[in-house]
Amino acid sequence: MSFRDEPLQTTFLSRALLPAALVASLVACSEEAPPPSGGLGPRPPMPELAAQTGAQRLTVAQYGNAIRDLFGEDINVPTSIEPDAPLDGFVTLGSSVSTISSRGVEKYEKAAFAIAEQVVADPARKASVLPCAPAGANDLDCAKKFASSLGRRVYRRPLAAAEVDRLGGLLVQAATTLGSFDKGIEFALAAMLQSPNFLYRPQVGEPDPKNPGKRRYTSLEMASKLSFFLWNSIPDEELLAAAEAGKLTEDEGLSEQVVRMIESPRAREGLRAFVTDWLHLGELDALSKDPTVFTYYSPEVGPAAREETLRVFEHLVFDLDADYRDVFLTRTTFVNPKLASMYAVPAPTDEGFGMVEFPEDAPRIGLLGHISVLALHSHPRSTSATLRGKFVREDLLCDGIPPPPVNVNTGLPDPSTEARTLRERIAQHNTDPACRACHMLMDPIGLGLENFDGIGRFRSKETDAVIDPSGNLDGAAFANARELALRIHDNDKVAPCFVRKLYSYATAFEPAKEETATINTLTYDFRAAGHRVKSLLSFIATSPGFRLAHEP
Amino acid sequence: MKRTKLSRRTMLRGMLGGAAVAIGLPALEIFLNANGTAYAQGDALPKRFGIFFWGNGTLPDFWVPKGTGPTWEPSPTLAPLAEVKDKIAVITGMKVYTGNTVPHFSGSAGILSGAAPLNNGTELQTFTQPSIDQVIAEAVGQDTRFRSLEFAVQPGGRSLSYSAPHSVNPPENSPAALFQRVFVDGFVMPGSTPMPDPRLPLRQSILDGIMEEAGSLQQVLGQTDKERLEKHLDGIRALEKQIEKLQQNPPSLAACMVPGKPLDEYPDVDGRPPMSEISRAMVDILVMALACDQTRVFSQWFSSPVGNPLYPGATAGHHQLTHDEPGDQPQVQSILLYIMSEFAYLVKALAAVPEGDSTLLDHCAILGTSDCSYGKSHLLEEYPILVAGTCNGALKTGLHYRSPSAENASKVLLSLARAMGMTLDSFGEGDARATTSLTAIEV
Repeated sequence: MSFRDEPLQTTFLSRALLPAALVASLVACSEEAPPPSGGLGPRPPMPELAAQTGAQRLTVAQYGNAIRDLFGEDINVPTSIEPDAPLDGFVTLGSSVSTISSRGVEKYEKAAFAIAEQVVADPARKASVLPCAPAGANDLDCAKKFASSLGRRVYRRPLAAAEVDRLGGLLVQAATTLGSFDKGIEFALAAMLQSPNFLYRPQVGEPDPKNPGKRRYTSLEMASKLSFFLWNSIPDEELLAAAEAGKLTEDEGLSEQVVRMIESPRAREGLRAFVTDWLHLGELDALSKDPTVFTYYSPEVGPAAREETLRVFEHLVFDLDADYRDVFLTRTTFVNPKLASMYAVPAPTDEGFGMVEFPEDAPRIGLLGHISVLALHSHPRSTSATLRGKFVREDLLCDGIPPPPVNVNTGLPDPSTEARTLRERIAQHNTDPACRACHMLMDPIGLGLENFDGIGRFRSKETDAVIDPSGNLDGAAFANARELALRIHDNDKVAPCFVRKLYSYATAFEPAKEETATINTLTYDFRAAGHRVKSLLSFIATSPGFRLAHEP
Repeated sequence: MKRTKLSRRTMLRGMLGGAAVAIGLPALEIFLNANGTAYAQGDALPKRFGIFFWGNGTLPDFWVPKGTGPTWEPSPTLAPLAEVKDKIAVITGMKVYTGNTVPHFSGSAGILSGAAPLNNGTELQTFTQPSIDQVIAEAVGQDTRFRSLEFAVQPGGRSLSYSAPHSVNPPENSPAALFQRVFVDGFVMPGSTPMPDPRLPLRQSILDGIMEEAGSLQQVLGQTDKERLEKHLDGIRALEKQIEKLQQNPPSLAACMVPGKPLDEYPDVDGRPPMSEISRAMVDILVMALACDQTRVFSQWFSSPVGNPLYPGATAGHHQLTHDEPGDQPQVQSILLYIMSEFAYLVKALAAVPEGDSTLLDHCAILGTSDCSYGKSHLLEEYPILVAGTCNGALKTGLHYRSPSAENASKVLLSLARAMGMTLDSFGEGDARATTSLTAIEV
């Protein structure tokens, strides 16, 4: 047995990965001083409250990950399938309410056959999914074995006898009609990949024997919930086996799998999916920038900038297990030669990405210095203090911004000798009472980033005038982008907002009002765990909100 | 008995200045009626419905034509429509009554579905009622291979074709994808006999099984999810219909040709998407999809609500310009001219295809509209509404109708649905519901 295969020992677990309630109770038993949660006060009780949810449709990324997990990394995953349908800008939220269109049905059919043909065409791949040697095209027994074993992975649960009979029958029907068992595999596989049991994540739940009157998700449903939340893909064999043994409705069995999953390299894919959705990094593929204004811009900038941000999060969470808020202050980032040229730092590698550290006195630090954030929240030919401020408010602090009034002149004066910088041109936002109420929530934040142009490159002047990057965040003044980063890092809303974003990602639903109590307790635990993201993943995955189900 | 030898014709035809060259496949003339103008069975040529939609509205001061009735002169931004003046109706002065709660979205939902959208704040959420193309597809889309076709011109553009709340019909986003879907995957030339394909009944068997599985799931899921699966089942049934069609001999259609294959990609020019080229390539495919009776309902999403593409020569994105450009907004005017030129191209392309004793356009009703009227302030008054085609003589064209009293824009939707043969008492919901149609554009 190799080291990798050894079960994780509990002593090996970091304390931060254990649910805070457990930590607290351990502390209470040993009569030690309270945990170093300085000033946190008593932990609010965790409500026994099920999160809202719906049967999620697999996202485009989840579909691809599932296909690769089923048939190998090198399989060619068709990309033309039903596109994601973001709700409020979030793909995950949209997956709980959107449907599959007629066009989507067509595309899934075509994709299913494209995948099935590849599986049959490659002997090694075929062998990996075919548990028996067919005696002929009409070997119903082998057909049913195939349907049963692969179906369990595709549907993420054991198949009912009627399902096995039907898929096995279809296989033999196709095999005899078309003259080979392989053709039969192709059709049976294509059928599974078009099934709503594959394309959706049905969650029904069952009565909870430990909580009379309440419902919980079944052990098998928990397996899918966990794997899509933590890995953005289907369960692996170990998780599925644990689910079949009923372990995922038990505290201990659940914790064991959650810890294993978070420590698995696949958790990086899960974190990437969350960060992509939360920070809208998918939109970087369709960035609209005028290259006559931004000469450094080219179509590869958007995807590279996304990769940078994802690597920074991955590094922070998995390599360093650091405080989440460090993402605003870190001078470490990952760049390819293109990004290095835009940041004016030496490229760490000739191709691909390498780690760099900005100098201590660099004007930019942390996430708000990333090209991804700066370019996404700008116009095609200029910056926008308003859009950047809105990003900080809505995505980092979870403050709501009312929609702009419908009948208002929103035109900005052109740059002129009197108003050379954006700060001067948007001065009216500050004086006109109709604008002021909302714009004061956004502009003073975004003006702190004016030293970075519409694609995130540093500039000290605009229209030959020196840029003043000062501003304030909720009354806390700052002189420049570096200080703005500190203000955000220190803001009380940063932790609960991050918890809310990750919780709603996990449940794939906008939290209901009463779930605020759940988020508050999770925030307490997150703070008590030193803002470790891995800990928060575990707190959410083991929380009642994630385990309890509503009446269907 | 010796089979009649059918002559193989090769037709090369430049379409509208040679943008697309279509090569005709064998036409089995034995299926044509005496003049080769209608189905041999004697059925009337079908009616088609379409939407041409652009984002960010208009400039009302430069939009409303001078003169009403048949004697009107195109306004500055409608100038590109001068050539097709007798083939369209311009309707002005009407209002969308959805309440202007979500800029760009209240107007879109109102003019496309006749009802206010659902929203919970600043973000676009969903229509609450199906859009008119889907209402009509429900009635006339059952006999064709595709219930409806949606395509977006702006790169990454979205569609607002809704079958139900949160059930949007995503568009094809490239000419190549549209071509592949209509004319490559499973296309059978009308008039030809398809080769028997044993895979087709097997594909139907798969779909039967999927319906069974979806049915079992529906029994355990909650009401909302049950309805979502029902929409999925609609799609399955549509695909079954498609597969069924592949096993039939489609009647010959005189004007049907496979259009020229579009380019694989249309790269940006100076950071600006070549929207005109993309649009024309898509329209050339669409026109033949209609002529070959592959669908009777389409929607062309030229640009998206709040869409911010850079147009040639513009110094900012479209949406940004509508808000920030001072004065008469000359750049926004140029963009509107650009968009109207593409609407004109669509109308001309349909009018260029003979069908029966008239043209394909004469068997169409096309609604051209946007997400608001004045983009700068998201007005819902003075709504931009264009109608092209007479829909087999049901609609009047060549006129400007000016509403004297900010009439409900949904009246136009009711007229269009009725022109398509539907018997409806009303169209829309709530304040935007119309119980009378706009008789001024009806024959």
